Amino acid sequence: MAALTLEKLTVKFGGLVAVNELDLHIRDGELRCLLGPNGAGKSTTLDLICGKTSPTSGRVLLGNQDITHLPEFKRARAGVGRKFQTPTVFKDLSVIENLEIGRSAFPGVFSTLRIFRTPIRGRIREVLSLVGLEGEIYTKAENLSHGQTQWLEIAMLLMQDCRVILMDEPTAGMTAQETKQTASLFRELQGEHTMIVVEHDMTFVRDIADIVTVMDGGSLLAEGSITEIETNAAVREAYLADTGDDHA
Amino acid sequence: MNKGFSIDCIGYALFAVFVLLIIPWMANYSGYDLNSYARYLVLGMVAAAVALSWGAAGILNLGQALTFGIGSYIMAMHLKLKASGAQAEGMPDFMVWTNMEELPWFWEPFQSVSFTLAAGILVPVAIASLIGGFMFRGRITGVFVAIITLSLMLAVQLWMISEQRFTGGQNGLTGLAVLELFGWSVDVYGLAFYYMVAGCLLVVLTLGLLFLRSKAGLVLRAIKADPERTRFFGYDVSTYEIVAFATSAGIAGIAGMLYAMILGFASPTYMGLSLSLAFVIWAAVGGRESIVAATLGGIGVNMAEGRLSDLFFDQWTLILGVTFIVVVLFLPRGLFGLVMDLRIKLESHFMASPIARVNTLLDKYSSETAVSQREGK
Repeated sequence: MAALTLEKLTVKFGGLVAVNELDLHIRDGELRCLLGPNGAGKSTTLDLICGKTSPTSGRVLLGNQDITHLPEFKRARAGVGRKFQTPTVFKDLSVIENLEIGRSAFPGVFSTLRIFRTPIRGRIREVLSLVGLEGEIYTKAENLSHGQTQWLEIAMLLMQDCRVILMDEPTAGMTAQETKQTASLFRELQGEHTMIVVEHDMTFVRDIADIVTVMDGGSLLAEGSITEIETNAAVREAYLADTGDDHA
Repeated sequence: MNKGFSIDCIGYALFAVFVLLIIPWMANYSGYDLNSYARYLVLGMVAAAVALSWGAAGILNLGQALTFGIGSYIMAMHLKLKASGAQAEGMPDFMVWTNMEELPWFWEPFQSVSFTLAAGILVPVAIASLIGGFMFRGRITGVFVAIITLSLMLAVQLWMISEQRFTGGQNGLTGLAVLELFGWSVDVYGLAFYYMVAGCLLVVLTLGLLFLRSKAGLVLRAIKADPERTRFFGYDVSTYEIVAFATSAGIAGIAGMLYAMILGFASPTYMGLSLSLAFVIWAAVGGRESIVAATLGGIGVNMAEGRLSDLFFDQWTLILGVTFIVVVLFLPRGLFGLVMDLRIKLESHFMASPIARVNTLLDKYSSETAVSQREGK
C-alpha cells in the first residue's frame, strides 16, 4: 500500500522548471532518502507535498486521498508533517509548549479552548526521552543548542503523529555524535512512520535509508538501494560534475 | 501554559482588590470622582481589548475605536428613544429637525433593553468577524492590518457625521435618558453603578485570561511568532485570528455601551483617530503581553491625565507625550515587561523557590504514575 504517491508532478517558477513530471511511490512505513545536487528540486518537492507551493500540474495522493488542492492546514490534518531545513520551532515558547503545539489531533478553536495544562506523562514523556529533552521541559526554545533545536522540531512532528513526515536536512549543523544519535532515532521510527528525508550527509544516508531516490534538474535520475545508487554511472556524473564527491 | 499560574492569580487578585476596594475608597464612595474612576475602568477595558488582539495574537488594530464607538451609539440609541417618548411618534429631536417622517426601521428594535445589550456585543463581533474574515483569509498581516482597520474606522466615522438624519451627525446623540435595568434606574454617579462597571471589567478580564491561558491562547502566541509554521501543524490560522479579533471587538463594544452611559452622550469623536491611537498607547505603556497590565496602563494614564491637567494647565500633554516616548524607547514591552524581567531575575536568583519545588514534585509524581501505569499493564 502506497502511503504517498506523486503523479507527474510539475512546478514552474516563471521560465524555470523546478520539478519536472516527477513520479514517486512511497510504501507505508518506508524511509526514503532524497538526494541530488544543489538546485535539483528536493526541497521544492517537499514544499509541493506539504502545500507550501502549489504545483503547475500533476497530483499528490496521500493513501487514496487526493490532497493536491488542499490548503496547508488541511494537509497537516490529513497526515503530512514537515520539518524545515533551518530548524523552525517557536523560540518564545518553552519546550513543553512547543510540544503542546505539536500535539494537534484536535486543532479547532473550540477544542483548544478547553485545554489548560499539558500532562507530562504518556506520549509526551516518551517523546521527550526519545529526543533527550527531559531535562529541558521549561527551557525556552531559544536557549537550546542547535542540535537540541533540531531534535525539538523532530519531537514536535512525533507529537503531531503524522502518517508521512517530510524531513529537510535533519542533521544540518549537528556534530558527528548528534548525527549518530539522530540516525538511531530514525531507525526506531522506521516502520511506524513513513518518512522522506532530504540529506547531504552520505554516512547518515547509508545508515538509515531503505531506498534512495536521486534527483537532478527537477527530474528523477535514479532510484534503488544505496549500493545500486553508489555504483550508478549517471549519479556519479551528476554529483561529480556539480559539487564533487566530498561526502563519500 | 503549565507554569506561573499561581503568581498570575496573585497578581490578578491584587488587581481585583485595587478595583473593588481601593478605588471607591479613594473617591469617597460617591460623586463626580467615582464617575471619573468608572470612566477610567471602561477605558482600561478597551486597552485590554487592544492587548488581546495585539499582544496575544500580533494583530495591531488601530481602529479599535470603531467597535467601541458602535457600542456607545447602540446604547445611546436606546437611551435616546427612551428620552424621546413624549415627542410626536417617539422620534428623537434631531430627526424632527431634519424633517424625517417616521422612525427609521433600524432604530425600532432599540426600544428594547435586552435587544440593545445583546446588539452592543454582537454587532461589533459580527462586524469584526466580517472584516477579519476578509483580512485573515486573504493572509493580510502586520502593518497592512493596521492600515485597513484605521482607514475603515475613519470611513465609518465620516459616514456617521454625514448621515445626520440617522445619527445626529457631528453632535452625536445627546440628551439621553437614564438606563433602566430590571426596574433599577441606573445612577451613574452612584456606588452601585461603579460596582456594575467594575464587575463587567473583572468578568471580561477573567474570561480573557482563561482564553489566553488555554491552548487556544498558546496557539495564538505561536501564530504571532510564525503563522506559516503553525499552519503546518494543522491549525487553521485565519480562524484563530478572526476569533481573537472578534473577541477584542466584543469587549470594546461592552466598554462603548458603558462609556455612553457614563458621559451621557455618544459622539463621532468616540470613533476618532486620537482616541483610537490613545487606546494603543495605553496598552503599550501598561504592557501589551498581559491584558491586566494593559488595563492598568489605561487606568493609570487616565488617572495621571486627570491629576496632571489640574496641576499643569497647558503642559500636561507635553509631560504625557515625553512619558510615552520614554516608554517606547526604553521599555518596548511596557511596564509589564519590566516586572517580568525582574521576576525572571528573582527566579534564577532563588532557583529553589517553593513554586519550583512544587513543580518538580508534580513532575516526579506524574512520571511515577506513568511508570506504574505502564508496569501495571
